[in-house]
Parts: sequence; C-alpha cells; structure tokens
Amino acid sequence: MNPLSLASKMGPLCLVLLVSLGKEAYEDWKRFQADKAINNTHVDVLQDGRWAPIQWQKLQVGDIVKVKQDGSFPADLLFLASTNADGVCYTETANLDGETNLKILMALERTWDYITPEKASEFKGEVQCEHPNNLLYTFTGNLVHQKQTLPLNPYQILLRGCSLRNTEYIVGAVIFTGHETKIMMNAMNVLSKRSTLERKLDKLILALLATLFVICAVGAIGSATFINRKYYYFGLGKGVEAQFNPDNRLMVFARTMLTFVTLFSTIVPISLYVTIEVIEYIQSTQFIDKDLHMYHAETDTPALARTSNLNEELGQVEYIFSDKTGTLTRNMMEFFKCSIGGEVYGTGMTEIEMGGAQRTGKRMEMHKSANAVHEKGFNFDDTRLMRGAWRNEPNPDMCKEFFRCLAICHTVLPEGEDCPEKITYQAASPDEAALVIAAKNFGFFFYRRTPTKIYVRESHVEEMGKIDDAGYEILNILEFNSTRKRQSVVCRYPDGRLVLYCKGGDAVISERLARGQDDLKRITMENLEQFGSAGLRTLCLAYRDLNPEIYEGWNEKFTWAKKLLEDREKKLDEVAELIEKELILIGCTAIEDRLQEGVPSCIETLSKAGIKIWMLTGDKIETAINIAYACELTSNDMKQFIISSETDSIREVEERGDRDEIARVMKEEVRKELSKSLKEAQHCIRSASDPKLTLVIDGKCLTYALDPNLRTMLLNLSLICTSVVCCRVTPLQKAEVTDLVKKGARKITLSIGDGANDVAMIRMAHVGVGISGLEGMQAVMASDFAIAQFRFLSDLLLMHGRCGFLSLQVITYFFYKNLTFTLTQFWFTFQAGFSGQKFYHDWFDSLYNVVFTSLPVIVFGLFEKDVSASLSKKYPQLYKEGMRNSYFSWRDVAAWALSAVYQSLVFYHFVTASSSAGLNSSGKMLGLRDVGTMAFTCVVVTVNLRLLLMCNSITRWHHIAISLSILAWFAFAFICSLVRGNLYHVVHVIMSTVYFYLTFLLVPIVALLGDFLWQGVQRLFFPYDYQIVQEIHRHEPDDYTGAGNLHIRSHLTPDQERNFAISLLPRDTSKYTGFAFDSPGYESFFASQHGVHAPQKAWDVIRRASMRTKPKTLPKK
Amino acid sequence: MSSTTVPSSSGAPGSADASAVRRNSKRPKYSKFTQQELPACKPILTPRWVISAFMLVSIVFIPIGVASLFASHDVVEIVYRYDLDCIPASNRSNRADKVQYIQTPGDKTCNKSLTVPKRMKPPIYVYYQLDNFYQNHRRYVKSRSDQQLRDASSEGEVSDCKPEDMLSNGSYIVPCGLIAWSLFNDTYSFSINSAQVNVNKKGISWKSDREHKFGKDVYPKNFQSGGLIGGAKLNSSIPLSEQEDLIVWMRTAALPTFRKLYGKIEHDLEENQVIQVSLGNNYNTYSFNGKKKLVLSTTSWLGGKNDFLGIAYLTVGGLCFFLAMAFTIVYLVKPRQLGDPSYLSWNRNPGWH
Repeated sequence: MNPLSLASKMGPLCLVLLVSLGKEAYEDWKRFQADKAINNTHVDVLQDGRWAPIQWQKLQVGDIVKVKQDGSFPADLLFLASTNADGVCYTETANLDGETNLKILMALERTWDYITPEKASEFKGEVQCEHPNNLLYTFTGNLVHQKQTLPLNPYQILLRGCSLRNTEYIVGAVIFTGHETKIMMNAMNVLSKRSTLERKLDKLILALLATLFVICAVGAIGSATFINRKYYYFGLGKGVEAQFNPDNRLMVFARTMLTFVTLFSTIVPISLYVTIEVIEYIQSTQFIDKDLHMYHAETDTPALARTSNLNEELGQVEYIFSDKTGTLTRNMMEFFKCSIGGEVYGTGMTEIEMGGAQRTGKRMEMHKSANAVHEKGFNFDDTRLMRGAWRNEPNPDMCKEFFRCLAICHTVLPEGEDCPEKITYQAASPDEAALVIAAKNFGFFFYRRTPTKIYVRESHVEEMGKIDDAGYEILNILEFNSTRKRQSVVCRYPDGRLVLYCKGGDAVISERLARGQDDLKRITMENLEQFGSAGLRTLCLAYRDLNPEIYEGWNEKFTWAKKLLEDREKKLDEVAELIEKELILIGCTAIEDRLQEGVPSCIETLSKAGIKIWMLTGDKIETAINIAYACELTSNDMKQFIISSETDSIREVEERGDRDEIARVMKEEVRKELSKSLKEAQHCIRSASDPKLTLVIDGKCLTYALDPNLRTMLLNLSLICTSVVCCRVTPLQKAEVTDLVKKGARKITLSIGDGANDVAMIRMAHVGVGISGLEGMQAVMASDFAIAQFRFLSDLLLMHGRCGFLSLQVITYFFYKNLTFTLTQFWFTFQAGFSGQKFYHDWFDSLYNVVFTSLPVIVFGLFEKDVSASLSKKYPQLYKEGMRNSYFSWRDVAAWALSAVYQSLVFYHFVTASSSAGLNSSGKMLGLRDVGTMAFTCVVVTVNLRLLLMCNSITRWHHIAISLSILAWFAFAFICSLVRGNLYHVVHVIMSTVYFYLTFLLVPIVALLGDFLWQGVQRLFFPYDYQIVQEIHRHEPDDYTGAGNLHIRSHLTPDQERNFAISLLPRDTSKYTGFAFDSPGYESFFASQHGVHAPQKAWDVIRRASMRTKPKTLPKK
Repeated sequence: MSSTTVPSSSGAPGSADASAVRRNSKRPKYSKFTQQELPACKPILTPRWVISAFMLVSIVFIPIGVASLFASHDVVEIVYRYDLDCIPASNRSNRADKVQYIQTPGDKTCNKSLTVPKRMKPPIYVYYQLDNFYQNHRRYVKSRSDQQLRDASSEGEVSDCKPEDMLSNGSYIVPCGLIAWSLFNDTYSFSINSAQVNVNKKGISWKSDREHKFGKDVYPKNFQSGGLIGGAKLNSSIPLSEQEDLIVWMRTAALPTFRKLYGKIEHDLEENQVIQVSLGNNYNTYSFNGKKKLVLSTTSWLGGKNDFLGIAYLTVGGLCFFLAMAFTIVYLVKPRQLGDPSYLSWNRNPGWH
C-alpha cells in the first residue's frame, strides 16, 4: 500500500511527536514529584496539648496548626495568634499575585493569647463563613467564640500559597483545605489565548488538504483508467493485488487514493508549527526580553514576554485600550498645593501650566525657590505653612484641623523607625501616602498605628517649637469604596473631644456640608477648578464635631451592621450615611500626578502608525479629558462628542429616584446622543477630507450604550473617531469595551494597564500588556507582555511587532516549498502510469522538511528586518502593512502557489528532458534514481536560494544556514551513495556527467527567473513603502544606536529632563477643570467583577502598597 | 526625609560605576544578537541590479547554449523505427495480429539497411529505444530483489518479486521479479558489404552496478522457465555481473520513453555507407502499442544528441538579454528616482495625515 518505507515516513513525524511528548511527560513527572513533595511536607498540628508534625495531605478542617518563620501555609487558615506584638504577622504573597512586598495581617484581639500549645488547646470556637470561592481579596465570616460573634475579615485569613516572614511563628485554625483553598479555586480556570495566526494557519492547512485531496483524486482516477492487462510486463495475472487489478477499477481507485495520500502528504508541513514555535520562542526570550531599548533603568525592569505565540499579533494591532493611572501617568502622587479656608497655599507650577505658559510665549524662569521642600510624595513650595508658620495665618484653627485630618483620616500603615526621615508608609494608593507625608512635613507626624489608636507627633500646636505626642483613639473607620467616594474616621481626642474627619471627592463632600458655609464653599470650589485646570488631583477635607450621645446611638447601629453576614457592605454604607452629614469644610488638597516620560510622543507615533488609542479610566470625566489633552489624544481642533450622564435631564430624573424611570430615560438619552453624534460624525467624514473626532463617554452611559440594541451604533461611532475616552468605567466595562471592538470590528486589539482593575481587559484583548515595576503584579500576571513604561509600547509594537509579523512570511514560504516539492512528484505521476511511484528516494522525501530546508527558514524568521529599528520608529506608517495583512493575504498565498507550480514544472521537465539522450561521452544512460536525485538537488538548491531572494537583510547566519543546508544535502547524498542500496553510487554516476553541471546551473536560474523578474518589476513600478524607506536610507550605515550607550540618555540633568518633558507637553489645554479623587485602584478587581462591593480593608491597603522601591545604594568610592 | 527612591537626576547607574551596579541589576547584557544589530547586508533590488543580473545571465548562458548546440550538432545519430517494418505485411493490420505474430515461436529476423548520413567516428553507440514502456511503474520498479542479485546466499529473498518469485514447484527464480523477467530480447547485428561489424557488448553498464550490485557468484536459475515467457533468456553459466544486458535493463528508466545501450561499434562509418542490420525482432511491444527503435549514435563531450540543453540555454540567455534591454528602456523612459518620498503611501493620498 504504502509507497514509502514506514521508517522513513514515520521517522520525522515521530520525532516531532516524541519531542513534544517527552517535554509534556517530563513536565508532568516534575509536577507529580512536586505534588508529592508538597503533600508530604510536614506541618505542626496541635495534638493532645503539644505540637506534632503531620503531613500536609492529612490536614483536616478545624485543626490548629503552627507555622514557623519562612514556612508556607498548608491550607487557608484563620489567623489566631502570632509571636509578634499586636497580633500581626507578615506574609509574602508572591505565589498568589506575584507581589513581592510583605503584607501585614492582623489577628482578632480576642485570640491573641492562643500562642502556646497549652493555651491553644483551650481554644474553642465556631467559624461561620461563606462557601469556598476564588475571590482572593474578600472573605465574609464570623468567629463564634465564648458565646460572642466576632466578624472576620480577609486580614485574619492566611491563604495557602503565601508564606510567613519576619514572624517567629503563628497559630491558626484550618478553614479550607486542598481544592477548596482560594489558590486552588483560582487555578481551575486558566484562560489561554489563541492567536489569530493559528486560526489562519488552520485555514491554510485546510486549503493544503483540499489541494492534497484534489491531486490524489486526479492521480487515483488516472490510475484506475491506466491499469490494463495489455502491459503484460506488470504481471497482472490472476493473483494480482487489488490495487492493480484491472477487473475492479473502483478498488484500484480507492487503494491508489490511499497510496497517493501518503505519497503527497509532504504537502502538509508538519514541521511548520515547530518552526514557528522555535522562532517565536527565540524572538520573545532573546529579542523582547533583552531589548535594551525597553529596559527601564530607574526601576531596573526589563521587558518581559510572558507568552511567545502572540509576537505576530503585536505587528497587527489596530486598537489600543489604555488605562490612565499608572499607565499614561506615573502614579507617583505628590502633594503640590492646597487650599485651607479659601486661602491657596503652594506656589509651584505644574508642568502642564508651564507648558501652557511657554506656548503662549511667556518666558518662565525655571528656578526652584530655596524654600521648596521636595521628597517622594511631597513637592510643596510655600513657607507660610512650614515650620509652624501657619500659626500666623489668618485661620490657624482651620489649618490645625486640616493637618489633623490629613494625619488621622487614612488607612495608612507606618513602617520602620518612628523618626520622620526613616519612616515609610504603606498606603492603599499613592494619594493617601502623599497626604500623610504632607501632614508629616507640616509638623503632624503620624508615626504609629495600633488597632485602636493613631499616634501623631504634633509640633507647634500649643506654641511655636513645642512637640507633643498625641494618641487619638480611632473609634470607627468608614472605609472608602467607589460608591461612597469618601472616607471617614471617628476619633476621640486625648481630651475626650469626638470628631469625625472626612475626605472625599468635591461632589460628595459638598452635598454633605452643614448650612451656612456658602462663601467658603464657593471660594474652595473656585480653587478646586483652578487646581483642576493645572492638572492636579483634588480632594476635599471636612470634619464634624460629634455629640457623645448621638455617637453612641449611631455606633450601636454600626456594630450591628458590621456583624451582618448578608449585605454587610450595603448596610454599612447606609449606616455611614447617617453620621457623615453636616460637615464643616476645611479645604482641599491638590496632588500632582505626572505623565510618564515620553507618553505624548509615543501616542503621536502610534497614531501615525494608524493605531487608534482608547483611554479607559475610572476617573472623572474632567480628569480624563484633561489627561487626554495632556497626552495629545485629543486637541482643540478635534471635534468632540461627549456622551455624559451629567446632563440636566438625567439629573432631574435621578433626583426623583425611580430606578426604572432612570434606566428608561438614560437609555433614551444615550440613544439620542449616539444617533446624533453618529450622524454628525458621518457628515464630517463626508465633508472634511481628514476629520479628527473624539468620543468621550462615561461609565453610566456606557452601560446603556453597550445594550445590544445600541451596541452597533456605539461601535460605528467609535470606529469613526480617532480617539475615544471612556471614563468612570468599571473593570468589567473595560473588558466589555475591548470585547466590543474585538468581536465587532474584528481588529486586533491590545490592552495596556498596570493595576488589578485592568486585569479583565488585559485578558480580553488579543494582546494584553502589563506595566511592570510600580503597582502590583496582578496586571503583569494576567498579561502577555510586560513593559516598564508606556513609551516602550512603540518599541514593542513598531519594532518587535513588525519583526514578528514579518516572520509570518515563514508560513507562505513553507507553503511554497512543500507545494513545489510535492508538485514535481505530481508531474512525475503522470508519466509513471499514476502508479504512485516515488520520484525521489524515501529518505530524501522525509528529510526534505526536517534537514535540508529547515534551518534557513528559522534564521530568516529570526533576522528578517526590512528596515532597521530606528527607521521603523521614524516611519511609523510602515506599521500599517501589518494591519493590511499584506504578507499573509490569500492573494499573496495564490502568488506563491503560482510560483510553486511554475518552479515544479521547470524542475520536472527540464531535468527529465535533458536526460533523454546519452549523458556523457561513454554513452551510458541514466535511470530513475539518477534523474530523481538530480531533480531533488535542483529543488533543494532552488528552494534555499529562493529564501535568500526574500531576505531584506542578510546576515552571516543566513549564509551559514543556507550553505549548511545545501551541504547537508550533498553530504547526505554521498553517504547514501556509499551504502549498498538502490542509491548506490548514484551521485558518483550523475556527477560524472556534464549534464549534471549544465542542468545544475540552468534549472535554479530558470526557476528563480520568474520570481526575480516580478520582484524587479514590483519594486520599480509598485514599490512598497518599506522599499522606499530602504532606498531613502540606503547610503546610511546601519544605525547602531549603540544600545550599549543607552544609559547615557537617562542621564540628563534635572533641567534637561524638565525641558524635555515640557517639549513633550500638550499644545492645548482643555477647557475642563476639576480633578477627581477617585482612583480605580481602590476597588478590588475581583470584587467588582462579580458585582460584590468590597470596601477598602486594611488587608487590601497593605496588599496594594507595593510602592516599596528598594533604595539604591551607589557604591561609594 | 524618608527618601526611598533615588531621584532620577542622581540615581540611575552611571557609566562610571555601571559595572558595579549592573552585577545585581536585571539590565540585559548587550549583544549584537539580542539587540538585533548583527551586521547585515541589505541588498536593494535597484533597476541597475536587475539589469546587471539579467545581463550576467545572458552573457554566461548564450555561449554555453551555443557550445551545447554545436556539440549536439556534431553528434551523428541514426534512428530507425523497426517495430512495424519487421512484421510481415499480412500481420500489420491490427494489434491482435501483431501480437499473434510476435508470440508465435520461430525465427523473426528481418534484414534492413541503413545509410550513414555523415561520417561517424567510433565509438558508435548502439541503443534500443522503447516507447510507452512504463519501467517506472510502481509495481514494476519494486519487483526485484537487490539482495538476491548481489549475493548468492540470499537466493530466497524474493518477497518483492511476485508473481515472478518462484516456480510452481517452489524453487526460486534467479534473477526474480518482473524487471528481469521482461528483459529485452531483440538482437541486432550489423554488416557492411557483407563484412560483419563487431558489436562490443562489454562495458555498456555502469561500473558500480557491475561490480557491486550484481554478484560474481550469482548465476541465473530457473529463469524464464515458467509458463509465460516475458523476454530474453539468460545463459545460466555466466554470473550476473557479466550479464551486462540484464544490468543495463535493470537500471530502470525514469520515463516511459527510454533508450538503453545495446553495444558499441568500434569502427568508422563513412558518409553514405550502407549498413545492413539484421534485427532479431523478438520483443513484444505490440500488446501495448509500444514503438521500438534502433539508434546508432556518436557522442560529444556533452553526450548524445540532445538539443534541449543548448536551446534552453540560448532561450534563457536571450530572454534575459531581452529583459535587460526592456528594463533599461523602461528605466530610461519612465525612471523612478530611488527613495522618492512622494511614492510613500501616506504621501500619495493626501487625505491621510
């Protein structure tokens, strides 16, 4: 049946399968070993009043365990006691979320004592908790202990996968084990991305299979009609096998069909997948991970490709969805200005202001006043508030409240020694840390937090120069969440005064103010606007003196709500509402959130490359628009469509409070706005040649716009717009918007973000990019590529993406090379009675893909670069070729197929025609093997040379690979000639003829003539863009930008850096003012994804406080 | 002050102490490979290059073509188709008659005379050429046993040889298989003016075949002794390595039309000399309408008469010359300046940027 010997056919296939099988098996084995090792790890369990080691796998729910320092938690534990004071312990969660900073957890005060085995065996309690789930950052439950119900929080839960640090040991009770632990619940659904390339490849393979079927059918029909007893020399007697039995031609057809399938199976490139994997693996680990252009020296972060099979998608991205905070901006908040009692303090100018001033022609002196204080988180220049000078201001009491509010109302944890120079703050968001740092600089130094108290070292309060330590009892913390948009703390002064301090967004504070502060309110709002237009993030501060009776009454309700198992968060919000009213406004703060270096120019480059950039942010609409201006996503000459829920009609309905009514009206409004904008946009498209449109939409409207009925309208509108800004969006909405474009427009999308709230959209997009180095690692863990700075996106896309995309030509080349090879065989079939006789020897056939043509393709895929890295950034428009998919269109494939047909005809006919007479002066004739070997030589040589014709840049690796391949063929042929078999001395025979040399010269040149001619004509008449660029720069030597010298670039003087930053600043300032407090990072991603409110927990605070950059010490000389 | 990060102005590893810092940093090491800065030659296929390449090909190819053609023309070749001529006129009408004639035992010698068109210098090769004979058919190609041919002890290796593997009594056929079984058995003898011209049948096979593929101690056995006779019989006292007709026959041809060397004439043949050929017309190609031809040919350095290479070289050379000219003209008439930015697509449609 099979025309090939089994070994030669199965050999390469088995090799490929074996390699991957072996890899899998090895990994499985290792996993098994690891599992075994983990299951057999020992942990101390309380048994009969003492600690006894047992295996992890024998652990049961309810066991009391002891975990020592650096040990891992064997299960999800309820944290009971720790050797540390205050019942805290430190854990490392690197296995869980990749964050390397330590998290501080705190046991319930009631269980602190159960630290010794004797005491612990007395512990009796009942834990009521939710079912096992995969939400890492939430936990709802109660501990019933000594007939009291104590609420449990995530920061009493030690999760499996974490390990204990800086604590001698802890004692805990097992809550969830094995597959019920949170880490295991999370491990269950692993999303994998399938690159569109794979899908296209499948189509190509299908096309090849169809071709295979057609040529097999042609051959089989031919065979059935050919076979005839008249060819007596075939010995078609009685006992002839079915394949050649002329009496049953249907059988002949069927059997020969099978033969041909195996014969022509070389048309399907088995090694293609392996080749592509090798190329992409090297590209990502060697080129992307080690690119010095994408190395960020300040955070010591190189780029990281976490998946290797999306490289080519990087070259085809059309839509970028970007987060704002931490992605476009630095997320390094600095306290910059404030307004206290209507008086503005802080004389500095933001970069945005300075940029604006420079554009209007004013010459700004870039001097720093000697009084300016600058440290991380604090950049304030005004002596009126420093060193107690505020006592001489018109409203010193207000100032005092302002500072106390800053020092008390927060969830920050101090770390390190309690002196102002050495302390560090662990905060939920950089804003919070900045505010506490500001308080410290104003002389209200928060240095210690216990579960019940906050200690503040206050200077100049009683009189100038006097320093007092004051301990404020923290009675309640009303935590921040995105619905409340504010945070309050109820505290008792040492003298018994009860105060509620509150800070929050301007809107929420202003509606809760006591009456009679209209003037102050008006002035403060003006200041807020002024800060806003300077690009600052603002926050209002307020306080309220509490009457003890009122407080006690309220506190009861609050304690009750805290113990609820159901709807706890909602009830807590409602209870908080009762006390957060009649506030007295103190003032507002302004924090600068600077743009990341190079963001505007990167965005400009990317949009020149035809990539549309969408900004998706949780911030307020004004903030979002302001940043959009700053990074040139939008400008004043762009037409803006704003779809906002902040219109009068909507507000009116909202005030009435009927939910159905609100939904109906909102939807109607959104529909109207959308259709109006769409009409206008379409009109713009028709009238102006190059309209620039921006769509701004807020989260509430987006909810309705994503409605199935309005979806298409939204999509059409947003596709017309050059940039889209979505503000006030939840993580889930970010993902939905990404999905809308991904599915609706069928374009390649890329999401970039840095925080947990971006995880959903990073997962959703074709390519997910995480910003590494600053905030937590969650975005990075979910991403496909991680870079340190937004600006590296241009390198990643324009350079690596293009290279990855160019290497797609490997596929068409494979297609061509296998088709050519198989077709020569096919033409031979016509002259061999359709019998399925091989033209080439079995081994040639099998080694063709694996040995003789494999290496050059890999080298090509790796090194193919049509223009150099710097040119691809200089001419971002070249990137569009990727979007047009110009290397992998069906037209392209057809052209290659045509070339394959032509070449195979040349190979077959030229070689056979020239072998028809005696071939050297000895007059001897060549046989089938000789001619086949001759043809094979021509195929190998030509196919390898054809590759060289494709190359735009030929390195010595190309030379080596191609010569190695051709040499390998000749070496193999000689070896075959030495082995007694039907190839014995074949090469000697053919190489003794002149015919060999003449054919060897003629055939490859004739075969390549067509391609060469086409390339010449194409370049002369229809040049591609990259070809023109090549020509423009043809005389320039290779630009070795000297990545080795790159670090010099980051060594600008501060002034130079500032000038550089200013030169990149926007050319327009927005007309929008007011910045928001709301940072999307506040909300736990997992919580909001599932529609659960997860208010800020101390645990959460710590988790996010990953700003702990290690101090870099320079070697001293 | 609790400064935790080093301000960018003073901090990042400077070049002076870079090495010290780099030891612990994740900064990738610079190498031309990872930075994709390997020195590369970047060929640009400018019209000048295209024209030069075409010119070069034509300059090389045309002389080779001319030389090949001359060589081919120097070769004197006499091709004589005899499959019809050698059948009595009464049997020529249809295939069945022809087959019946060829299958009837008896002397089927036919005498013809050929005229030498041009002086032929020795060695003059005598070929037979068959047509429509599928020596490359899969069933046929594999029907042989290389071990058996090479090695007397492997007589029983006949698994591929069906149906000509063994006799009905179970004794093996050597050489087995359809190829050997269908050995060509027409004979040619030549005479000039009644003087016998010797046809040398030594050295007509490739040396490697003779010495390594066919054993010196392997003798034909039970060959052509079955019911059906396929072709020639072999002298069972001569080892296979000396049965050169068989060796030639068993190097199967690539195409259904093929020539095989029959012998060499080592005499001059003068122009217009008449050679009498005595053809032993035994081989049955009539069943499948195959032609049989007798070929007498001299050789040149290139081999036998084969115009294909010469014509191919000349055509390609000429085509390349023509293309070079065409390119030159087009280039002169409608030049495109190299690296003209106006050809860039974003400059071509002003609507874009």
